[in-house]
Amino acid sequence: MHIPDGILPAAVCFGGYATTGAITWYSLRKINQKDDPREGIPKASLLTAAFFVASWIHIPIPPTSVHLVLNGLLGVVLGYYAFPAILIGLFFQAVMFQHGGLTTLGVNATMMGMPALLAYYLFRLRNVLGRKGDRLGRKDDRLGDRKDRPYQALTGIFGFLAGAGGLGIAALIAVALLITTIPTHLDAEAERASIYALTLAHVPLMVIEGAFTALVVLFLQRVSPELLGD
Amino acid sequence: MEYQQPQQVKPTNPDDPVLSVSDLSFSYPDKDDVLRSLILEVGSGERVGLIGPNGAGKTTLFLLVCGVLKPDAGEIRLFEQPVVPGKFRPDIGMVFQNPDDQLFCPSVRDDVAFGPSNMGLPRAEVEARVREALSIAGALELADRPPHHLSGGEKRMVSIAGVLAMRPRLVVYDEPSASLDIHSRRRLIRFLQASQETILIASHDLELILEVCDRVVLIDEGRIVANGDPTEIMDDVELMEAHGLERPHSLAPHVEPHHERPQVAPHF
Amino acid sequence: MKLELDEHGHLDSLLHQWEPKYKLVGLMGLILAFSFVQDPRLLPAMLAITLALYALSRLPLSFLIARLRYPGFFLLIVAILLPFLSGSTVLLRVGPLALRQEGCLDLLLIVSKFVSILTLSLILFGTAPFLDIIKAMRSLGLPLVLADMTLLTYRYIYEIGDDLERMKTAMGLRGFHARYLGGRVLRVLASLAGSVLVRSYERSERVYKAMVLRGYGQPTRPSEEPRSRFRDLAWLFAFLLLAAGFIAAEIVLRQGQG
Repeated sequence: MHIPDGILPAAVCFGGYATTGAITWYSLRKINQKDDPREGIPKASLLTAAFFVASWIHIPIPPTSVHLVLNGLLGVVLGYYAFPAILIGLFFQAVMFQHGGLTTLGVNATMMGMPALLAYYLFRLRNVLGRKGDRLGRKDDRLGDRKDRPYQALTGIFGFLAGAGGLGIAALIAVALLITTIPTHLDAEAERASIYALTLAHVPLMVIEGAFTALVVLFLQRVSPELLGD
Repeated sequence: MEYQQPQQVKPTNPDDPVLSVSDLSFSYPDKDDVLRSLILEVGSGERVGLIGPNGAGKTTLFLLVCGVLKPDAGEIRLFEQPVVPGKFRPDIGMVFQNPDDQLFCPSVRDDVAFGPSNMGLPRAEVEARVREALSIAGALELADRPPHHLSGGEKRMVSIAGVLAMRPRLVVYDEPSASLDIHSRRRLIRFLQASQETILIASHDLELILEVCDRVVLIDEGRIVANGDPTEIMDDVELMEAHGLERPHSLAPHVEPHHERPQVAPHF
Repeated sequence: MKLELDEHGHLDSLLHQWEPKYKLVGLMGLILAFSFVQDPRLLPAMLAITLALYALSRLPLSFLIARLRYPGFFLLIVAILLPFLSGSTVLLRVGPLALRQEGCLDLLLIVSKFVSILTLSLILFGTAPFLDIIKAMRSLGLPLVLADMTLLTYRYIYEIGDDLERMKTAMGLRGFHARYLGGRVLRVLASLAGSVLVRSYERSERVYKAMVLRGYGQPTRPSEEPRSRFRDLAWLFAFLLLAAGFIAAEIVLRQGQG
């Protein structure tokens, strides 16, 4: 999903930097509005590093294996810090592994970061739909009892949607960008058709990301709900 | 068993108190009564060892004394001034149990410079302090290395340097010898024995406490249970075992005595 | 995966000696100019300059090849179709497939730009300690939140990476190997990822306390500007001139065609 250097025209790269700049500015503003913005920095930074590392976990798809993108999960856990986190994560990936380019850093950040923010908003809906009130202030309440099952199911579903959606939207943007900018001299019809086809090809991956995200979210719900904002 | 507040042991210099804790109480959201009306005094130049079972409240006490946590009740005075939670006080330094939690800069030099920089010192002064602190900790040659290339013992000494660079008058050490190899541990003991500041050490390493400290405080379930001479307290097998500890090996009666311990003059 | 970026950062070359702040601006300027190139006639100049700079940097060739291999492979997978899909002038017919001229040129363009830009990036990050580059970015205006986050992230990537390795080893020793895609495998791997996240989160709380205790959040003095020697500025000027030259050439050539 990381678009490398050399493919996209300069105008698109600059456009990417512009959108990333704007979203970063917006995110930083939201962050600085908090009581103590610096308090969130160690948490966001270490979680960025953790996500960076977690994306190295191989998911076996015989005969090969894939690395997950996990931008949906990142959005759920980090909220407004998600976009700077993705920007920084991509920067490190570009510099350390040459995975994704420096000229395309802006494009890649917007492509993966914007869905992360959307995943965050989506997951917040869960709190709107689920009863959260009773859960606060209870000690030693980690492993849920039967009453918590609906809430857990809700958490799982939203986790799945966040993960699948995060990847899906990013894939759509990546595919659309590549097809429209690489000179293939296809007509508009064919371009649209190929965009749909290639995005559809990502559906199995979306399902895996969604499932994985749901499982991790449920894990966090049991072990450390503060990470989900509970 | 009825709790009895032990007799207060007067600090070395009653006219120069370093730390004064009175009626300190604290609970975590998920754990009540971690500290219960705790009373403690430490005088200038003292080396106090804090012992007790896990969960006794040692780390919590340190965090309260440093102003990181806010007490539910009670008062803490540091150098005669009340501790204001959240306020930066470079006159106290805390060395954390895990040096990786404390070495958060990408290079040793930057990390040791962190404290002095935040004190608003001019750049030349910061550099001088970095050199000084690293020398005292014996880690000057590590200055330009990234922390993840260091061994456990090296990380320990660098984390101490990072605290010393602020020139604190009181340093609290939380389990300083945890995970250290024999050589590094010996180095740490020698370092602590030579240190000039007032120090407070929380440790399970009872032999280290015996070698370094001139007073021991036994904490259990949020209260001070004993406060006095290290040998006296740690030789009391019943007392130690009642509070989840053991008598250190070097104090056990030996057919052929083979332990040499530095003589510490009693001061009370 | 090799995490070290600046293993050759201690070498001595003209590029190593260039002050990071100016090096960053100069090289990025040239990189952006190269990304602007669309006309194949500029490719030889672009590649020649790139290789000349790499030679000047005294970085080993093995370094370049190793770093280009993995991303280059993926780029080729994406771009290899171009000669067959793009354009109308047919050069060669191989059965039902037709090799087209425009497509070949497009492929050449993409590959050349890719190689050049990547090589310049490797020069930028390979000839100075990573930390210095971050400081240079900070002095160029990178917001404090981003700078702090970048440094902290960089510091703990290795620790957390080690954590993961240890956990994977422990899992392997207890008989778990992720060989197939199934519910149990996903659950276990999700727990692994979750554990990494939770541990990092808990560590971050301790790190925050340690930072606050040493004064994090206090207003700090602005750090000193790096000394700028004439040589650094001269190189910067040369690079920016070169970048401008490429952009100008590209515009002129485009107008000539249009």
